[in-house]
Amino acid sequence: MLLILCQLATAGQATPVSSDPAAAKPRTKAEVEALIAAAGTTPPAWWSSTPVSYPPTLDLTWKKPPPNSGWDPSKNLGQYIWSVINENPGKWKEGARLLHYTLEVNKADRGKLIQSMYALGTLYHNLLQDYARAAFWWRKAGAADDEWANPIGVANCCWKLGCKEMAKEALTKYGSDDTRHGAVIKLWADIGEFDSALKVAETKAREDDAYMAWLMAGETCRLAGRYKKALAYYGKVLTEPGDKGDIKQSKERAKASSEAIKVYDLLDLKRIPDGTYTSNSYGYAGQVFVAVTVKGGRIESVKVPRHQEKQYYGSLIETPRRIIEKQSVKGIDTYSSATITSEAIINATAKALSSGMK
Amino acid sequence: MNPLKKTLPTWYYAPLRRVVQSLCLLLFLVLFFYVCWPYSARPAPHPIGWPSHYADGLRAKEIVEAESFLALDPLVSFSGALAARAWVWSLAWAGLILAVCLLVPRGFCGYVCPLGTLLDLFDWALGKRITRFLLLRDGWWVQLKYYLLLGTLVAALCGVLLSGFVAAIPVLTRGLLFVLAPLQLGFLRGWHQVPPFNAGHYVSVALFLGVFALGFWGPRFWCRYVCPSGAVFSVFNLLRVNERKVAANCVLCGKCSACCPFDAIQADFKTRTADCAFCKTCRGVCPTDAIKFASRWDNVDWKEEEEPRYSSPEGGEHSPSGDGRPTSERPAALWGARVGSRWGRRGFLAGALGSLLVVLGQRRLCGSVSKTIPLVRPPGSVPEEQFLQLCIRCGECFKVCPNNVLQPVGFERGLDELWTPKVVANWAGCESSCNACGQVCPTGAVRALPLKEKRVARMGLAIVNQEACLPYAGLQPCQMCVDECSAAGYNAIEFMRVRVETGDEGAPIEGSGFVAPVVVPGKCVGCGLCQTRCYQINAKSKGWLRESAILVAAGSGKEDRLLHGSYLELRRREASRRRQEQQQQINKSGLPPGQDIYLPDFLK
Repeated sequence: MLLILCQLATAGQATPVSSDPAAAKPRTKAEVEALIAAAGTTPPAWWSSTPVSYPPTLDLTWKKPPPNSGWDPSKNLGQYIWSVINENPGKWKEGARLLHYTLEVNKADRGKLIQSMYALGTLYHNLLQDYARAAFWWRKAGAADDEWANPIGVANCCWKLGCKEMAKEALTKYGSDDTRHGAVIKLWADIGEFDSALKVAETKAREDDAYMAWLMAGETCRLAGRYKKALAYYGKVLTEPGDKGDIKQSKERAKASSEAIKVYDLLDLKRIPDGTYTSNSYGYAGQVFVAVTVKGGRIESVKVPRHQEKQYYGSLIETPRRIIEKQSVKGIDTYSSATITSEAIINATAKALSSGMK
Repeated sequence: MNPLKKTLPTWYYAPLRRVVQSLCLLLFLVLFFYVCWPYSARPAPHPIGWPSHYADGLRAKEIVEAESFLALDPLVSFSGALAARAWVWSLAWAGLILAVCLLVPRGFCGYVCPLGTLLDLFDWALGKRITRFLLLRDGWWVQLKYYLLLGTLVAALCGVLLSGFVAAIPVLTRGLLFVLAPLQLGFLRGWHQVPPFNAGHYVSVALFLGVFALGFWGPRFWCRYVCPSGAVFSVFNLLRVNERKVAANCVLCGKCSACCPFDAIQADFKTRTADCAFCKTCRGVCPTDAIKFASRWDNVDWKEEEEPRYSSPEGGEHSPSGDGRPTSERPAALWGARVGSRWGRRGFLAGALGSLLVVLGQRRLCGSVSKTIPLVRPPGSVPEEQFLQLCIRCGECFKVCPNNVLQPVGFERGLDELWTPKVVANWAGCESSCNACGQVCPTGAVRALPLKEKRVARMGLAIVNQEACLPYAGLQPCQMCVDECSAAGYNAIEFMRVRVETGDEGAPIEGSGFVAPVVVPGKCVGCGLCQTRCYQINAKSKGWLRESAILVAAGSGKEDRLLHGSYLELRRREASRRRQEQQQQINKSGLPPGQDIYLPDFLK
């Protein structure tokens, strides 16, 4: 339950699938290619202000850990990136700097060198969202060895850089989606081609991992605003057999997304009968209780009858005021210096309202 | 007849004193309950840079230093300076009031001391109505204040600061802190914010109430016989410039000795100069205007030495009763039947020896500080040994501390740490925008650091207990400590994904494992916000843990306790040392310097 609530807090505020098609201005294929070539060959702006830094115990040569040696991010480079760099936004640039450094360290070993290049592409894409450099380094790895090619990843970069055509061109080559995380379906959904995404999902569900296909179909529908259909797909994920590894993770994601849809996306004040609804959520020092009064399809009042907070300042008054002003629990600015209390009030209000939905 | 004369005679006879006393008491209460009330500070709606609302809030309100009365209490700074063998800034304040008191002997006690004023109020409201306990004779106690003064000074000389237990203003501030401040907090902010009491609280409250209860033995009994801060002024009265004198036209009516609240009038109506607080009430009551407050060396036409006679030629409302005492006054005059010096050699020796024994006993009982687990002290505290020698236990830092992060040590660590401040991180964490404790410390036990220094001054180091911490133990995702730390702006706790499951070929499974906290020692200042959250939610609310899984610890290498100098400078030196180490590590790897470039030539 805690997991779901933790994810709720973020899921409610942000869009479910990471896409912001409006962010990049449209570019032609030639413009995108020029961008990748230019950025890919020059260091980013933060380069000189970010020193190379890594734990002295770390091995930089991508040594494969011996079987059953366990997980040790202080020694293994891949595990260090996974466990430490990925998890700390403050270390992302440092991580890129370190990977560039490993190009030099591994220049004599072609296999390891390609691994460094691919890891650079992944880091620029997943963490720094520097899509031109991501495409550059992924392509470089793929050019050196077909095994390391990542056409879907590069296609996603092109889409993010503003060229939908390049993404479509790459995606149409795939009838189904044999990627581990449903990357083809996700990209179809991200570029707004929801029907193509669902078609590929149906195929993947027959031929490959059904749990991932249904999860991606659910995400597609949520992105398209088809919440009922999304809930149905998420439901299908939960009925798939298995409860380990990727399957377990997918089921947890499906559960969290369903919950978020019910509490935030499907919330319709018009469908809540007049009355006072209560719920609670964990704040700074314990449960924060909220009583929400709805009248005539409007949030009339949000009260905090009980709490144990110490550092609350104005959030107990200000956050309810903002919720009433906006008549929504989405996109409420949290009150500075009391973010946690604010979030607790927002979450509890959302839960209280959704409990009253007819 | 003026109605004031009957209802409030002391206001009538010595109006200046009462007005000054009232103003001083009012100022003291405003400083204590308003200036040292942190919760009026509000964060900026959209803070730019590091928040500073608590520091700004105190600065805006502190037109007069919040600790003014503590700084004026000479015993506070004398004993602290003596114990720590160091200059204490409030010595200057004490010097100032002592200089004033050469002109107005014991004027602090008569006019300024808020405890004295409260005792006057108590005597007026209760003491004078309940007379059955009045002590009508002298005893060993008449010199108690000198013994206490001597005792605390000898203890201070031996490096043990005991004066805070008995000095006037610390007794008052601690008393108000433990009696009224919880009420203020409870009524204005909620009772869940009032920290629990320990035995130390109760003893301090008992001491405080005891000071008032002494009033049943006689008016301002505490000030006359017990208060060692007052004794400092009494001793300095030896150097007085002015004194109370009685002119030859004294009619021996006895009204002056009856009204004297300080028992400073001898049987012959002349002055016990060590005790006279210059309140001038006697001048007001004197029917023949025979009492003057004049230069010590003015020897003209004063009353001659003679035996006292309780008879008056005058009649009317001021006429004495049959036994020679004024009818409408309490029999305090009888207490003044002693003549001559009140300084006893035996008492003095006893005081000195007694305090030496206390010091030795204390050392035996508590052992040295280093043997026990070090406490987390307020940010900017001087090294522990000097800290204990300077901390006067006035409790001012507790009052000003938002959310009561600072709470008094009880008896668990012996007398020499009683009532000293410790950080109780289970209760609350130190606010990043606050530097108040150092600003109000009267002795410099906690340094008055600017906010930019305070925010890098390490009071401790957070340590994660990996066996208890939910993600490390693989029980629950939890990142409350990290959220707290980054919300406060320290960013001293980083993430590490632990318990990652691996699929085929050792590849990690996305989303598997838990993100666990890792404290960055160079950034953590030990504020305890992380511990508060973990304790309040995971232990107290949910009962998943018995103790917070992240605990702030103090001690060598975990905290900075600088007597002087800059914490920012310390951090800068550390950072440059770390950079050098990293560079050496890269140099050791054998690559020529400058080879870590963005796109190496061999890849172009």
